[in-house]
Amino acid sequence: MSQIETFYEVMRRQGITRRSFMKYCALTASALGLGPAFVPKIAHAMETKPRTPVIWVNGLECTCCSESFIRGAHPLAKDVVLSMISLDYSHTLMAAAGHAAEAALEETIQKYKGNYILAVEGNPPLNEDGMFCIVGGKPFVEQLKHAAQHAKAVISWGACASYGCVQAAAPNPTRATPVHKVITDKPIIKVPGCPPIAEVMTGVITYMLTFDRLPELDRQGRPAMFYGQRIHDKCYRRPHFDAGQFVEHWDDENARKGYCLYKMGCKGPTTYNACSTVRWNEGTSFPIQSGHGCIGCSEDGFWDQGSFYDRLTNIKQFGIEANADQVGMAAAGVVGGAVAVHAAISALKRAQKKTQEKAEG
Amino acid sequence: MTRLVLGPFNRVEGDLEVALTLDAGRIVRAEVNAPLFRGFEQMLMGRDPRDALVITPRICGICSISQSAAAARALAAAMGLSPAPQGAAMAALIHAAENVADHLTHFHLFFMPDFARPHYAGRPWHTRAVDRFTAMEGGAQRAAVQARAELLHVMGLLAGKWPHTLAIQPGGVTRAPGPREKARLTATLRAFRRYLEGVLFGGPLEDFAAIETPEALMRWGRGDLGLFLEIAADLGLEALGRGSGRYLSYGAYPLDERPVFARGAWDGGLRDFDPQDIAEDLSHAWMKGGTRHPWDGVTEPDEAMAPPGYSWCKAPRLGGRGHEVGALARQVVDGHPLARAMAGGGVLARVAGRMLELARSQAVMERLVAGIEPGAAFMAKGALPREGRGAGLVEAARGALGHWLRIEGGRIAGYQIIAPTTWNFSPRDAGGVPGPLEAALEGLEIEGPGALAVQHVVRSFDPCMVCTVH
Repeated sequence: MSQIETFYEVMRRQGITRRSFMKYCALTASALGLGPAFVPKIAHAMETKPRTPVIWVNGLECTCCSESFIRGAHPLAKDVVLSMISLDYSHTLMAAAGHAAEAALEETIQKYKGNYILAVEGNPPLNEDGMFCIVGGKPFVEQLKHAAQHAKAVISWGACASYGCVQAAAPNPTRATPVHKVITDKPIIKVPGCPPIAEVMTGVITYMLTFDRLPELDRQGRPAMFYGQRIHDKCYRRPHFDAGQFVEHWDDENARKGYCLYKMGCKGPTTYNACSTVRWNEGTSFPIQSGHGCIGCSEDGFWDQGSFYDRLTNIKQFGIEANADQVGMAAAGVVGGAVAVHAAISALKRAQKKTQEKAEG
Repeated sequence: MTRLVLGPFNRVEGDLEVALTLDAGRIVRAEVNAPLFRGFEQMLMGRDPRDALVITPRICGICSISQSAAAARALAAAMGLSPAPQGAAMAALIHAAENVADHLTHFHLFFMPDFARPHYAGRPWHTRAVDRFTAMEGGAQRAAVQARAELLHVMGLLAGKWPHTLAIQPGGVTRAPGPREKARLTATLRAFRRYLEGVLFGGPLEDFAAIETPEALMRWGRGDLGLFLEIAADLGLEALGRGSGRYLSYGAYPLDERPVFARGAWDGGLRDFDPQDIAEDLSHAWMKGGTRHPWDGVTEPDEAMAPPGYSWCKAPRLGGRGHEVGALARQVVDGHPLARAMAGGGVLARVAGRMLELARSQAVMERLVAGIEPGAAFMAKGALPREGRGAGLVEAARGALGHWLRIEGGRIAGYQIIAPTTWNFSPRDAGGVPGPLEAALEGLEIEGPGALAVQHVVRSFDPCMVCTVH
C-alpha cells in the first residue's frame, strides 16, 4: 500500500464531523499558543497531508502515560488524535495479540520506513543484558533500537523514557536507562512528567503531525511551549507565597484557606511544567489544588533529591538575605493581604520588586 | 507433547508470557512468567518512610491509588494512627472511583475486543460485538472511555491528579472538600450512574445488584452487559478456566474499623483470615532466599535465572495454599448470594463478579459523597516512630494488595509488597502446586496457537503485570 490517507480522511472515516474537525483545529491552535490566523493553516495541513504513522512501544514502566493519554484528555482532542495517529502499533490498546502483534510491528516498520514517529513509554533496563524486561522473547532494548532505526523522530513519553524515573532510583537495581542514552542518532523530544498531562501529550503530537516538524525545544529537549514556565509562575496559590502565608501542617487552618504549600515541601518553584495552567483530568485540578505540594515529577532526578517531604524553609528564594519564613513574616506584618494583587505577575524578581515598592510606599 | 510459548500478551497492563505444554491439544502444564522486574523493594531501603507515598504508587499507572492507600495504611499502622473518619471516607471514595474505572477499562478495552475478532465470524452475536467492541473503535468503548474520564473528575477534585495522586496520607487526605466540591461530586456521580444504567447495564443498578442466582443473571438481557452474557452462554464461558474456589479478600474501603466489603478467606465456607499465615515461596522464582512471611521477606533477584525458577514473580500462599483474589473474591467473601453461587467458576464468574461490584460500588460512592461534612477534620496528626512496623492491607481493583513496612533508625529497613496479580499469576510453590492462573489453564482443550480460549482465561483475571513484579 503506497497511498496513505490524509488526517482529514481518517477522521471522517472515524465519524468525526466537519464541524468537530474545525472546532478541533481551533482548540489545537489555542492549546499551542497560536493565534486564530493559524486555524485555517492547521485545517489545510490536515486536509492535504498524509497522516503520520505512529508506533507506540512500552519498556520498563507502569503504563501511567497510556492511562493519562486515553482517559484524561478533552474528549474531542483525544478522539481526533487517537483516530489521527491510528497507533499502528500500540501494546496496550491494539486488537491483535501475541505473535500477530509482533508481526504487526514489523509490518508497520517496513511499510513506513523513515516516515513514522516512534513513541516510547518506559525505558530499557541494561543490567544482565536487558533481561529484566523481555518483549517477545527478546530484551526490550533490542526492540527499541530496531524500531528507532527507521523512525523519523522519537518521542520520549514521561519521566521514565526522558530521565529514568523511580525505577532508576538508587540503587537502580536494573540499570533503567533513559531513551536518549540508548538512541543517539535520532531527534528526540522529551515529554517528561509522571505521567505527562494528557493535553500536553496530544498537543505535542498534533503539532508534529500538523506542521511536520519538531516543536521548539528547550535545552533539555522538552517542547518549550509546555515546559517554558515553572509551576510556581502560574500557581493560583502564588499570592499567598508572596504574602508569606504558608501551610504549616496538613489540614491546619492555613491549609483550609488555601495558603502556599512551599513549607510542606512543594517543588513548584523549581519545576517546569504546565500543571498550573492546563491542569489535570480535563482541567479539573492539579496536585497543589488538592492540598499537596508539587513533587517536581517532570524534572530530571526528582526521585533521588532527598525526601519528598523535607521542608524547604532554608532556601534563599528572594535573592536577598531572607528565607521564606522571614519574608513571610515581614510581608504579612507590613502590608497584610494587599500584596495579593500581584497574582498575575510571573517573574519572581518583578514580584519581589513590586512587593518592596508597596511596602515602602 | 508440544511446548508453546504465548506472549507477549498485549492489552494487559505490562508484560506477560505463558508457556504451555500440550498433549493432543490439551494443556497439561502451564507456566506463567512475568518478564519485567524493576526492584522497587530495593529502592525503598534506607529512605524516609514517608517517601513510600510517592514511590510506591509509581509501581503501577492503573492502580496507583491502591498503592497510595496501602502505603498510607502501612505508615499509619507504624505510627499507631487512625485516620480522621472524614479523611478515611474521602480516601475510600477516591479508591472506589479508581477501582470502578479499572473494572470499566478491563471490560471494554482489555477483555471484550477478543470477541470482535474474525475468529468468531458467523456466530449470531459477532456483528454486534464488532460494532460495540472492536479495539479502539467500538461504540461501547468510546462511551466507556468518555464516562470514565468524567468519573475521574472525582480524582481531580479530591486527589489533584490521576494517575499518581499525593493526596492520600496516613492521617487522611490533604484536600478538605467544601460544599462546592460536594455538589460537583454529586453531579459527577449522577452522570456516571446515567451512563451505567443507560449503556452498560441497560437497567437500574439496584435491580442488577439484587440478582441472586446464575440463572437470573443469564436472563438479564440488557445493555452491553447483556451482549456479553449472550456470548458467555454461547461459548460456555462459565466452565472455561474454572478456579479453585479458594478466595481471599483483605476487605475493601475501611471505614470506622469495618470495611465496606468484608475481610476474610473462603474455601467452601468462610474461614478465619490471619495475615500472619501469609508467606512467599521462592522455589520457582528467580529470587534468592527461602519461604518467608513478608515481615522478614527479602527481594534479591537471582541474576543467573537458574531453574527450576521461571518467573520474577514470587508465590504468595495463605496457610500454604494459593488463593484467587479480585472482585469475585471480594463479593464471595462479602456474602453476596450471586457471587457465592458462582464461587469456583471460570471466565463468566470473574467478569460477573466485576459487574456486580460495579453496580454495588456506585451506591457506595454515592453514600460517601452524601456523607461529606465540609467543616470536619480530614487529617489526623501523627508522628513517625524511629523504630516500628506496620502493614497496609487494602483491596485494589484486581484484589488483595499488601504493603509490609519496617522502620529502623527512622529509615525504611524493610518494605515488602504483595500485589493482587502476584497471588493470581504466582508460579509453582515448593510442593509443585501451580498458581491460580496456571491451575485454571491446565486441562483446557485448545485448538491451536491462536487459541482464543487461553486469551479469555488469562484476561478474565484482569492481570496487572507491572504490579505483580515490582
